[in-house]
Amino acid sequence: MTNGHPSREEDFELYALGSLEGDEKREFEAHLASCADCARKLAEARGRVALLALAAPPVKPSAAVKARLMQQVRQDRSRFDAASAPRKAERAEGYFGSWWAAGILVPTTIVLAIIAGVLWTENQNLDRRLTNLRADLQQQQQQFQESREVADLITARDTMIVPLAAQRGMPKGAAHVMYNEKMGMLMYEGELDPAPANKAYQLWLVPAKGNPISAGVFTPGADKSNHFMMKVPQGVAPAAFAVTLEPAGGEAQPTGPKVLVGPVS
Amino acid sequence: MSSETGTDLRATDAALIERIMQRDEAALEALYDRYAGMLSSVLNRILRDTQAAEEILQDIFFQLWRNAAQFDATRGSLAGWLMVIARNRAISKLRHHNPAAAGEELLENTVALPFNLESAAAQQQMLDKVKGVLEMLPKEQQTAIEMAYFEGMTHSEIAERTGDPLGTVKTRLRTALETLRRALN
Repeated sequence: MTNGHPSREEDFELYALGSLEGDEKREFEAHLASCADCARKLAEARGRVALLALAAPPVKPSAAVKARLMQQVRQDRSRFDAASAPRKAERAEGYFGSWWAAGILVPTTIVLAIIAGVLWTENQNLDRRLTNLRADLQQQQQQFQESREVADLITARDTMIVPLAAQRGMPKGAAHVMYNEKMGMLMYEGELDPAPANKAYQLWLVPAKGNPISAGVFTPGADKSNHFMMKVPQGVAPAAFAVTLEPAGGEAQPTGPKVLVGPVS
Repeated sequence: MSSETGTDLRATDAALIERIMQRDEAALEALYDRYAGMLSSVLNRILRDTQAAEEILQDIFFQLWRNAAQFDATRGSLAGWLMVIARNRAISKLRHHNPAAAGEELLENTVALPFNLESAAAQQQMLDKVKGVLEMLPKEQQTAIEMAYFEGMTHSEIAERTGDPLGTVKTRLRTALETLRRALN
């Protein structure tokens, strides 16, 4: 080999003959794989070697060979035509049934199902968020309303402030009530010792005429304080406000002892 | 025995291959009539078995019918390819080797022929030329090249068969092939 090329031109014929062996053959084939010029020379050498076939004594094939060949060809063509017709029909008629179903429809359905699932989940999440937002908004509106009512109660000129004083022998404490007759609203702020077990404090609006009106049941926390707003019937002129000790849950009318009392002057 | 029509006689190998690709049986028949005799001769020379030779002959043309689309007439000669395939098939059968797959034979065995063998006259002219070249060779070279070509023997096998030194066999083959090259170029 010279620079990888066969050193002698007849090497191409020897390879075409199949006469090269061992390392010579391996080197030749390795070189051929990367040399277009030598591949062309080999094609030409194959042609020259192939012509040696003409040196064979002439032997005509029997007519039966051609007959068998053409029969084989006709059978093959019949099979081809028979096989291609259904395939064409299948391609034409079954295109959507097979290809779309297998190739597009099924994956698309899966994707759509996934998307639908994701959207449904997202929709549920949005519904929950919307409900929460509505609740928050309602709560904020309520707080705003209460704040505005407190503000209105506090700033109203006809709101009265009634101090409530502890009664002798009762839990210690003090409180006051801000009340507006027209608005039918009061606010309690006070401190009291914790109520006994199974007992609760209950605030009463004691009108000038008629029975006391419950204005809230409460139990002091650890800091003994309480603060709350309460709506009562409008237009009730109070004679006094009182806190009584009642069974837990409160009573319709006062049943227990007076703990705090604040007469309206 | 030629059933080629006037049109088919004048048709090139490439044109007939194109028609075979269109499932034209007449085109295959034309190619068979054109080359079957040439192939039958070499197959019988190698195998010395008429039935085996005819089976391979039929199989080669049936392969051409089935795989014509894989044959690129612009890259090589159909006549040359047919002769290469016929020899390879016969040598494989003679030596009990597995022949290459049909697709590999079509793709890998590009054969360039400087001569057009599409007519019976051209084939006869080339036959005479090749025979003349071989008859000019010394007997030892002639024997060596016939053993290599028609029996598929390697240098070593020829040396073993003839009892000649390996180097001598190589030189005889190289010299004979060099003569062939000069004569056919």
